[in-house]
Amino acid sequence: MRDAFTYPNAAEQFRRAANVIPSGVYGHLGPVEGCFIPVDAFPLFSSRAKGTYFWDIDGHRFIDYMCAFGPNILGYGDPDVEEAAAKQRERGDCTTAPSLTMIDFAELLVETVASADWAFFAKNGNDVTTLAVMAARAFTHRKKIVFFKGYYHGVGAWTQKIDYAGIMEEDVQNNICIDWNDVTAVERVFAENPGGIAAIIAQPYMHGNFMDNELPADGFWKKVRKLCTDNGALLIVDDVRAGFRLDLAGSDHYFGFEADLICFCKAIANGYNVSALCGKDFLKNTISSMSYTGSYWMSAVPFAAGIACIEKMKKLDCPKLLIDKGAKLARELTKAATDYGFNLRVSGVPSLFYLRLADDPSLMLHQEWIAECVRRGVFFTNHHNHFINAALTDADIAETVDIARDAFEIIRERHPGK
Amino acid sequence: MSDMKYTDAVTMAYINLYGVLGGLTALCDVVPEARKILGKSACSIGFDVKNGPAATLTFVGGRCIFKEGVENCAIKIPFSTCEKFNGMVDGTVTPIPTRGMTKLPFLLGKFKKLTALLEQYLRPTPDMLEDETFLKQSTAIMFRVIVSSVAQIANHDKVGRASASYIVDGAIKLEIGGLTSAALIAKDHMLTFSPKVPKTFLSCMQFADVKTARDLFDGKINSVAAVGLGDVKIGGMISQIDNVNRILSRVELYLK
Repeated sequence: MRDAFTYPNAAEQFRRAANVIPSGVYGHLGPVEGCFIPVDAFPLFSSRAKGTYFWDIDGHRFIDYMCAFGPNILGYGDPDVEEAAAKQRERGDCTTAPSLTMIDFAELLVETVASADWAFFAKNGNDVTTLAVMAARAFTHRKKIVFFKGYYHGVGAWTQKIDYAGIMEEDVQNNICIDWNDVTAVERVFAENPGGIAAIIAQPYMHGNFMDNELPADGFWKKVRKLCTDNGALLIVDDVRAGFRLDLAGSDHYFGFEADLICFCKAIANGYNVSALCGKDFLKNTISSMSYTGSYWMSAVPFAAGIACIEKMKKLDCPKLLIDKGAKLARELTKAATDYGFNLRVSGVPSLFYLRLADDPSLMLHQEWIAECVRRGVFFTNHHNHFINAALTDADIAETVDIARDAFEIIRERHPGK
Repeated sequence: MSDMKYTDAVTMAYINLYGVLGGLTALCDVVPEARKILGKSACSIGFDVKNGPAATLTFVGGRCIFKEGVENCAIKIPFSTCEKFNGMVDGTVTPIPTRGMTKLPFLLGKFKKLTALLEQYLRPTPDMLEDETFLKQSTAIMFRVIVSSVAQIANHDKVGRASASYIVDGAIKLEIGGLTSAALIAKDHMLTFSPKVPKTFLSCMQFADVKTARDLFDGKINSVAAVGLGDVKIGGMISQIDNVNRILSRVELYLK
């Protein structure tokens, strides 16, 4: 049994952060949105990262199954990506006129992504999901956007809900939210809003938080695709989270349909900050007509990193590699759980697996197990899907399962009856 | 509507009855002076608001019991609109009972004294809070008022209803460490306040101590920051806590 980590430096530094930064660490990397339960089980800050590991400021090494919430797909500090980025940095990054690297990157995306006839670059996922929705409205001259419950498309006002701080009713009054995998609901909203729906926006499958992830039902996407086409609405795939972990040609390609617009970020450049909206040729003029730009959106270093990342992912057949690794981990974790009398559910595509210990509906048992894993060097999170990266080895998986067994043993002793 | 508060008179009336006047139950439980005011008196007052809430406060044995409905009250006070009821709570509308005229001395005497005492505990001056006993009593009463108001906002307020629509069934335990606890019971996206916490609950939020709770109530600290610092602990079905927190943030829009 491994000793549990403690984090005295993290606690001290968090207090320091909270003095000068709202909520200390905000957003998904912070203890609230990150669901660090209890907070003192989690490392809070990193000091460095390499391959599939990061080290915290208290000197502990973690096998990282969050991968910076997706960007780390080849391994932190991948040598090929770093070399390409370093070479570009010597030539220039944020400059008055864009580098030709931008065109190279766009050409590579068009060649790689099945539904891409062009690429538009920005920085974060939210930048391109917002552009996609604006483009849909510009193209169709309609207001309404259809979402699936449990969605996450960023932090722009249009992506939020009326009860979120700072959101006006007007920001979300054209949002229609329906159940995932419910084709009848899709048919109904088109019938109820004739000529009113600009687009459906969706992740390729339901990987919402706090719930088992749910793949598309047989025929779901083909029917949705047809309904959009028949009703003159666009189909936007938000592939920010899943992109390149299912299929290098896009997650729409993986599920056998074609999006009109598809959004990428996270894994596109192995941690370098760039996002891309790709789309069909018939929308290129619409995008050209829009006023949409940012100070760093044409920086060349992330483009060079993105090219190196995509080329290496192709060489590795990265999605298959990650799915195989994730499937192996899922099998062994599930077996470990069973050995201790627990029911561990692993859902979603294995390269983006979601964990839930199903023995306790309150999820408190699950939270205890996750905490004991983290305290021993496996960085899982409670209620978000995880991410596999290419640097994860069989030895890392074995170590992960050993630690998971320690954690199962601890909670079995605490809760002999559950 | 030009502002972004999205508040309404109906929700305010529910908060005023279930939350504010409902706070008399906690007042009588924790403040000896309240029990002294009541003495051996026994009376019940029903507030019947058209197109709004209806509930009875029963005072007996030095305690106050809150019950929905006005069927068995000694004094019945009807209000033709939620706005008029809210006016009574604000002190701008004089209540006129239709039943229990002989009990008017209780309404104008002891009940008025109790509500004045309640106001002291809900709106204390800073120097009053320096007394540790008063601080604890005031915080326990505020906790009751706030948590029961959360249920009313979840059930009636337009924005609160949106949050409640994401709350799954089950009990949510709320606790101030070393002081008091209560629960919100979620069922079909409606919330019910329960002064007692059921044996099993789906999620929990614990304020470390009286000071943390007080600072949160007074808006001096933020709950998200407090979770990070370990002053507020959360567990279980976090989606419940997340949405209750969103509703909690609306309480101050109604209870300034």
